[in-house]
Amino acid sequence: MAPTDLLFEAGVVFAVLAVGGAVADRYDQPVIPGYIVAGVVVGPNVPQVFSYSFVLVETREFIDLLAELGIVFLLFCIGLEFNLDRLAAGRDRLLGAGAIDVGINGAVGVACGFALGFSGLESLFLAGIVAVSSSALVTETLVDLGWIADPESETILGLLVFEDVAVAVYLSVVTAVAVGGTGGGDVGSIAGVDAVWVTLALSVGVLGALVALSVWGTPLLDRYLRTDSNEQFLVRVVAAAVGVAGLALVLGVSEAAVAFFLGTAFGTTEHAQRIERAITSERDLYAAVFFFAIGLETDPALVADVLEPLAALAAVTAASKLVSGYWGGRMYGLSERRSRRVAVAMVPRGEFSLVIAALAARPDAGLANGDTIAALAVGYVLVTGVLGTVLADSSEGLERRFFAASADEG
Amino acid sequence: MTVYESDIPGVGRKFELELDDGSRAVVLHHHDGRREVFCRPDPESDSEQIFDLPAEQARRLGSILTGAHFESVDAADLSVPLGDAIIEWVDVPADSPLVGETVPGANVRGETGATVVALQRGTDTFTNPGADVPLEPADVLVALGTRAQQRSLARLVEGVTEFGDSTAGSAGGPTGGEAEATAGESADSADE
Repeated sequence: MAPTDLLFEAGVVFAVLAVGGAVADRYDQPVIPGYIVAGVVVGPNVPQVFSYSFVLVETREFIDLLAELGIVFLLFCIGLEFNLDRLAAGRDRLLGAGAIDVGINGAVGVACGFALGFSGLESLFLAGIVAVSSSALVTETLVDLGWIADPESETILGLLVFEDVAVAVYLSVVTAVAVGGTGGGDVGSIAGVDAVWVTLALSVGVLGALVALSVWGTPLLDRYLRTDSNEQFLVRVVAAAVGVAGLALVLGVSEAAVAFFLGTAFGTTEHAQRIERAITSERDLYAAVFFFAIGLETDPALVADVLEPLAALAAVTAASKLVSGYWGGRMYGLSERRSRRVAVAMVPRGEFSLVIAALAARPDAGLANGDTIAALAVGYVLVTGVLGTVLADSSEGLERRFFAASADEG
Repeated sequence: MTVYESDIPGVGRKFELELDDGSRAVVLHHHDGRREVFCRPDPESDSEQIFDLPAEQARRLGSILTGAHFESVDAADLSVPLGDAIIEWVDVPADSPLVGETVPGANVRGETGATVVALQRGTDTFTNPGADVPLEPADVLVALGTRAQQRSLARLVEGVTEFGDSTAGSAGGPTGGEAEATAGESADSADE
């Protein structure tokens, strides 16, 4: 394809994203669902209407690349802002509340997977998709509703931090098991040892090296980033993030997990805030393309096929999040009313579920139902994203209606 | 007053101030410079947003709150409320004719034009000393008046006989410290 067409397609992608974002904004909805729907609408899977194809975007390579950059920057930034102090400060309560959160929702996810007839590995993917709340959507809700100024925000942010770590570890394990198991990485089996174990060991080694980097490597990273030029600074950050994540992917290690841990390492440097300022716009841009690409890949017909399981899954796991969130809030010593807010705030799922879905849909993950799981995840994120926002927005009214007695005392 | 600080990933930094009335002021610094200010009347209530300010307005408001915003008042303006008057501290020596007298009794204001606004005795301060406070050696009078009135007061306290204003210069300024020592001294000699 000629580069002129490529540039035009890129233009279409961003134009559609702009429209999708504007529409979501117009209806006070988070932008992530807007981006996904934008991708679905112009993707190859959209049904033909009046025998006219709306397919505008056909070339996948460049979108896949930009989407991959989106995953890397997204996780890198989450790692960058990762707050070890928060994790350490509420250690006892947070470990309890976090274990309840991940445990209950993960278990419910696995159970749902088996109930839907998925294999063990597929159910593990589904568990990841339903267990992890969206840091982006949850934080947005907190700020929009002003809950950020109230004590429940500490619990919610603590749970999000806990989930960040959990999902990074989870991603590296399932990547090793799924991709390593099918020989998708470049590392084959060595001397009869199962490829899964080789990849797993490799993951542990790489992540261990990155943790060591964040503990002892701060002066090194400080020197690496020491420059007066903002331009060079940005290039160096991108080089490190994309370079290391790309290398990891070649080795069959989760690029998302590696980006996260590399981000935490850079977060310990004196440049942390400057990195954040420099890279935020790149992250926003490429993450948008990532959500768009997810939509592009999604066949609406496939989503329509899984509508019933989707509704059941959303209902069951929204309920399990409410339970785990409320329980976690009580463990933090919050009042019943504030604990209910923790519960409501944690409902939206988003970027992590989609990162996991993208992994499930990868051909080298070798999942028989990979596409179904991805379609399920996309529908699931749309439903819970909107459901969570609506629940939070109307929580005051719901509060008055269902908990009138306790609302009076509060 | 305790201040709690915490990072809000992806948003910015949050500060909570415990106030004396049991309420809490919560300030949210967004990375983009936007500042939100909340108030939570008591632990069980919800925080109410008071301000949502862009960076520049937040800084302006902040500098007003710290009192720094209007710091650049011209020093010359400061003397305006007193007109030409200055405040001086005048030592009362042991041999002063005023020892044993009171401020109204000696008709200090009538004699000199200067007003004694306070009397310092050791660590005690008598504001607007009346007929019930006889002066003692080593008292310090805090007097408000023009430079001429202050000189006149100093002579009265020192017990210098009035020969006329022309000789006053040699008697020197007041013996005590001055509120604005350098300005006072130089202005004194310039007056002559």
